[in-house]
Amino acid sequence: MKPPGAINGSRSLLIVDDEPSVTLTLKLIFEREGYSVVAAYSCAEALMLFANGHRYDAVITDLNMERDDIGLEVVRSAQTLDPRPVIVICTGYANVENATQALELRVDYLATKPVDLEELIGALRRLISRRAAARGSK
Amino acid sequence: MTATAQHRGLALVVHPSLERATALHNACVEAGMRTVVARDLPTALLMLSQHVFDAAIVSATISEHADGWSLAAVFRMIFPGAFVAVLAPERSLEALKNAINSGADQIFECETTDDEIARAAAARLVKAASGSVQ
Repeated sequence: MKPPGAINGSRSLLIVDDEPSVTLTLKLIFEREGYSVVAAYSCAEALMLFANGHRYDAVITDLNMERDDIGLEVVRSAQTLDPRPVIVICTGYANVENATQALELRVDYLATKPVDLEELIGALRRLISRRAAARGSK
Repeated sequence: MTATAQHRGLALVVHPSLERATALHNACVEAGMRTVVARDLPTALLMLSQHVFDAAIVSATISEHADGWSLAAVFRMIFPGAFVAVLAPERSLEALKNAINSGADQIFECETTDDEIARAAAARLVKAASGSVQ
């Protein structure tokens, strides 16, 4: 049985951003790339999805939503999931402090806005493939 | 015998400065590791193809500005469970972003002592060997 979030065998992606225009744009772009995309508009909503058993191949989260750097809570929660998704932070407010925390939390990719979409799409594809290969070899 | 000595992990040390590379090698040996030392990118890549490494300590700049990050990324791809540390001039946002996106575990500023870097690598190897690190 597929976990909730993985639809029709396509790669599943959760986008967490409180800015609807950003969420919608990323959703359209990644759906065009073949992902099944779910959007959450706050950290709380993302944590609720995880708590309800939804699982994703990758999570892209903003940092500043209900409060500054709360996206790191999404990261912490995603880290505990099994299987652990690829975790990407996409933010316009990266600084040494939150990037240090992201490194310590083993975030897989840090994208700073304005995002280079080709680079983000390529990185996500590469990280998900590598994660799948690692799982397959276990 | 200590856990560190028992493990004897193999570390790749890459630094263009002979003096620094030697000092890092000595510190790693002192911390209970074996090392392979390279001072340029081609040698480092050749060594990647010929050894199974547990750790890498890489200068952010080897031959050209920031080429060490690329080596760190390749190392991470080949050895996904290994410890990767990069020596960068400063702990800037750019360096942190490079570290995350190349899969490095830790950044050390260049002025960090060799002993401190080697001890951190050895500690991670011992944790990994005891199963407490991914």
